[in-house]
Amino acid sequence: MASDVRLERVTKNFGSFKAVDDVSLHIEAGEFMSILGSSGAGKSTVLRMIGGFELPDAGKITIGGRDVTYLPPYRRDVNTVFQSYALFPHMTVAENVAYGLRQDHVPRGERTARVRDALDMVQLLHLAHRKPSQLSGGQQQRVALARALVKRPSVLLLDEPLGALDRKLRQQMQVELKLLQHRLELTFVFVTHDQEEALAMSDRIAVMRDGRIEQIGSPAELYDEPRTAYVAGFIGTQNFFSGTTEGADLAALRDDSGLLVRAERRAAGVAANARSIAAVRPENVRLSVSEPAADDNRLRGRVVTIVMLGDALEYVVSTEQGREYFARVPRYTDNLPKEGDPVWIAWPVSRTTLFPFEDIELQAQRISHERAAPAGDGSAAGGSASGAA
Amino acid sequence: MLWWAAFFIVPLGSIVYYSLGVKPADPGAGPVDLSVLSLANYAKAMSDVFFTVFKITMRTAGLGTIACALVGFPVAYALARYIQPRWKPVLLFLLVLPFWISFLLRTFAWRIILAPEGVLSHFLQDIGLLAGPLTMLDTNAAVQLGIVYNYLPLMVLPMFVALDRIDPSLIQGSMDLGAGPIRTFLSVTLPLALPGVLGGLVLTFILASGDYVVPAILGGAKGLMIGNLVATQILAAQNLPLGSAMAVLLILMIGSIVILAAIAIFILRRLLKLLAGPALDDLGDDRGISAAAPGARAAGKA
Repeated sequence: MASDVRLERVTKNFGSFKAVDDVSLHIEAGEFMSILGSSGAGKSTVLRMIGGFELPDAGKITIGGRDVTYLPPYRRDVNTVFQSYALFPHMTVAENVAYGLRQDHVPRGERTARVRDALDMVQLLHLAHRKPSQLSGGQQQRVALARALVKRPSVLLLDEPLGALDRKLRQQMQVELKLLQHRLELTFVFVTHDQEEALAMSDRIAVMRDGRIEQIGSPAELYDEPRTAYVAGFIGTQNFFSGTTEGADLAALRDDSGLLVRAERRAAGVAANARSIAAVRPENVRLSVSEPAADDNRLRGRVVTIVMLGDALEYVVSTEQGREYFARVPRYTDNLPKEGDPVWIAWPVSRTTLFPFEDIELQAQRISHERAAPAGDGSAAGGSASGAA
Repeated sequence: MLWWAAFFIVPLGSIVYYSLGVKPADPGAGPVDLSVLSLANYAKAMSDVFFTVFKITMRTAGLGTIACALVGFPVAYALARYIQPRWKPVLLFLLVLPFWISFLLRTFAWRIILAPEGVLSHFLQDIGLLAGPLTMLDTNAAVQLGIVYNYLPLMVLPMFVALDRIDPSLIQGSMDLGAGPIRTFLSVTLPLALPGVLGGLVLTFILASGDYVVPAILGGAKGLMIGNLVATQILAAQNLPLGSAMAVLLILMIGSIVILAAIAIFILRRLLKLLAGPALDDLGDDRGISAAAPGARAAGKA
């Protein structure tokens, strides 16, 4: 049976570093919850505290209503799929999967049957007698999954389990994990720094930043209604304009280059005549050779480069001041501008959002740095944010 | 290969060769008379004295190895698991620091410590643990102590390397799957550290069995070991062939003991595995599925 997980005002320090800072989080039974953040945001520490590998300095953790805050890992009804898989190298695949059942003294007949079922579930029965070192990364990942699930935990913790896989395999595993979670009706807590992965799989996502939860919501909520510029830039791609709000109705921002950006959407905390950020997603930005209607926000520039995204093209347009903006255009459009062409870009006021100011450039550097290493994708988000801010 | 031949095969070969000769009647004719080769030295070597001393040697080396392991393993374990990475080199350095002093001097220092009128003796008498002066020097007990002292780092180093290489996430994985600290130690830590542990045991045991300095300095007449017997034949009695024969016997006997121990460990592991029972019953017909590509099946199911 799936259990819910509740964190109440949990804090964890490593020396003077506040890894997790007063976090409260309720993960519902049977929910697929992702904890998303860049490195050092505290997401893995949250997971490790649920698993029992770190003890919180303050706060309380309950699983299925039972207080487990200070219980050791082997007394908790949760299992973990580790980032490194943590398969025992001196045991075969089957022995690895049987290990947890042996600890529970499951009788032999039931044990072997459950090991078989678990290996069958991840389609690795034919490799049962191999050693982990003889398996590919994807296969090892499945063994780790089978080993954790064979114990029928009420909550499964996954610590960036897909990070080491190549892109194709990762996408396939995303689908399989999601299907598995539906079928088993288990609570999944999934830690990742990959926003695409979190969007694709989760029922809800908790975005963490500097040890705190910045926002919790469904993928659509986070994508459509980010509460801060940080979340807006982290989930998907954004064009950012830093400047000062104009007028008492908080409907426009004067960009640092002098451009007036009108916005119909506004996050909480935006004040009049205060430094703020306007944001619009590239898919809401249109590209035209002739001057667009004045109802929209618009600016002139020149096509710097065109990035092929498969079904769409991402145009990088540079203004005279050297600022770069991104426009995503369906591929099979007539008369597409070429590199070096002078163009207009325009975007609806209804799709533009104002956020309280924060140093996007600094954040973007952290994010793109983080993403460049393991994933290799999603760099567009980092690039866009840093280019436009 | 050349290195191995030069430093291992050649000396060993010449010892075996010498052991087949006889001590020349004329001392000016060189160390060995190899004109007639025979096994007579081996018959002579297998005397009662040899076996008595051999038994003492095995006991001293065996107990010394066990004592080194009992002291060394916790040290290696603590060093590998509980010390921060940046302090590890420092502590390892301190561990091998005594090696910078000559083996002979280090061993000799114990004569001063263990002397009947020495510091330790007085201290033990002062706190009432000892009625008379310390009589440990020039006994087998002093040899035992000297061996543990000298070989402890040799035990700790391979154990540390093996323990240090164990990924901490494996320990966490074991605990995550429901194993407490003791079960985790027995099922994960110990098996993975086994090569290092065995390496330390074998290294210590072999070197301790062949030791001749420690018993010579700390053992006196009562603390004789086989190494002294060989040395006496070669250096004092000038009987190189008999000494060589004893040395070859020593090599063979220690070799058999190590091999027997290896077989015993192998059988023990098999037995433990058998007792635990299989993880998965024989797959029987299901083995046929290995023909199907797992990727294709996965894709079909997805």
